Amino acid sequence: MLEKIKNNFNTQTWVLIPIAIGINIAVGQIVLVLKLPVFLDSIGTVMVAALCGPWAGALTGALSNVIWGIAIDPGALPWWPVAAMIGYMAGRMAQWGFFKSWWKVVVTGFVVALTAAIVSTPIAVYLFGGITASGSSFITAYLLQTGQGIWSAVVSTSFLTEPVDKITTAMIAFAIIQGLPKRTIGGYPKPEQVEAEGGTNKNQMYIAIGVVVVLVLFAAFMLRNILGG
Amino acid sequence: MHERLSFHIKRDSFIHNLNPLTKLVLTLTLILIAFTFPWYWTPHLLVLVAIIPLSLLGKVFREFSVTALRLILPAAGFLFLMQAFFQPVGSDVIFKFYFLDVTQESLMFAFRNAMRVFVMVSAFTLFLVTTHPSELMSDLTRRGLPGQFSYVIISTLQILPQIIAKSQTIIAAQRSRGLDTESSFFKRAGSLIPLVGPLVFGSLMEVEERAIAIEARGFTSKQTKTSLHEIPDPSFDQMLRWVLVALIILSIALNLWLS
Repeated sequence: MLEKIKNNFNTQTWVLIPIAIGINIAVGQIVLVLKLPVFLDSIGTVMVAALCGPWAGALTGALSNVIWGIAIDPGALPWWPVAAMIGYMAGRMAQWGFFKSWWKVVVTGFVVALTAAIVSTPIAVYLFGGITASGSSFITAYLLQTGQGIWSAVVSTSFLTEPVDKITTAMIAFAIIQGLPKRTIGGYPKPEQVEAEGGTNKNQMYIAIGVVVVLVLFAAFMLRNILGG
Repeated sequence: MHERLSFHIKRDSFIHNLNPLTKLVLTLTLILIAFTFPWYWTPHLLVLVAIIPLSLLGKVFREFSVTALRLILPAAGFLFLMQAFFQPVGSDVIFKFYFLDVTQESLMFAFRNAMRVFVMVSAFTLFLVTTHPSELMSDLTRRGLPGQFSYVIISTLQILPQIIAKSQTIIAAQRSRGLDTESSFFKRAGSLIPLVGPLVFGSLMEVEERAIAIEARGFTSKQTKTSLHEIPDPSFDQMLRWVLVALIILSIALNLWLS
């Protein structure tokens, strides 16, 4: 066990983690500038998880959240277990070979999103009674008013909002890693996990982007259904 | 631009001179008691009897109240409004707003939650203001925290302002070349790539250089390292820590016993 954790960390990992945290926060702010309806605040975490392993990913996620909390938005602080689980799960998926082509990366993003939704639910319910300071709480509030139980309302909200964000995150992280020179990747603990199978096909990428667009439309449709009646 | 992200204010006070670990335990105690002690008015009372006196004792009351009013209070206030409106508990409706009811119970609930968050963030702020990050890290390393953790925390605090400055530069540069960051959704989504790409690749190129540099300074060496600064840990600090831990246990036990 300890050995398995240790093999996630070499000197390059330790140097990458602070930079990945910086990337998480800086990209999160670029997204705010562009006013896109996603967070994309865990790209660095997913990159560390894929290149170095689940434990390094979990550490990056947790630290990134804590530092985001103390430096930018104190409300982010209690959510560090979610960020840690995102890193851990992304690392596990990469270990199982799901970080090698576009469709597999979409699957990784989806699994990460489900994990994030499940981990964030107890925090939202116990700490905030279901209503957090985030914008998506409007959906939760509406579901609560329609008579749904608190757990199902919070879980449905996360299932609606998380997948698009996490799949996009995983795809951007994949694109970045594929753009790095082989020599750089070779210095990290798990370079074999991110080796693309049969090249990175353009068509595959378009299909993957298509999947995300369909998901966005689906979420928007569900949202209209929920809020409309 | 700050050279390093740090909130530390150098003063000579009772709180500043405490051992960093004691201050960390104190912070955690305040947060855990605010969240677990079963009495309704606990977080409110903590602000009066702990947070404010501690900021006076640490001679940072003025700076602390500015931060509290400008940053912490708005965040807690927003949470209060969200919860007061959206929490569907209770039946004693005070007023209605479309489909939302504000009840006495939801107001009470929201008030306590907002105060809990206020205590949490204030305690952390006080801790950061009175403790220098490198002091905390060298003390924890001396107590057995792996040196790599200290490296990650300290260098994140150093790198973060640089990366944020870099991203501002990239946004400005790409805008001046005519990049569209304001029009339709698809245009804005498309602008993500020319902004994120240079930022990420530019930052990642430094990794290898830095790795070699710290490797050359014995980063992974197993030898015990000596420290330039000695951080005092008097017996008063040790005693205080045990008292605080006892308070945490008491609060959690009461919470479990009464629920």
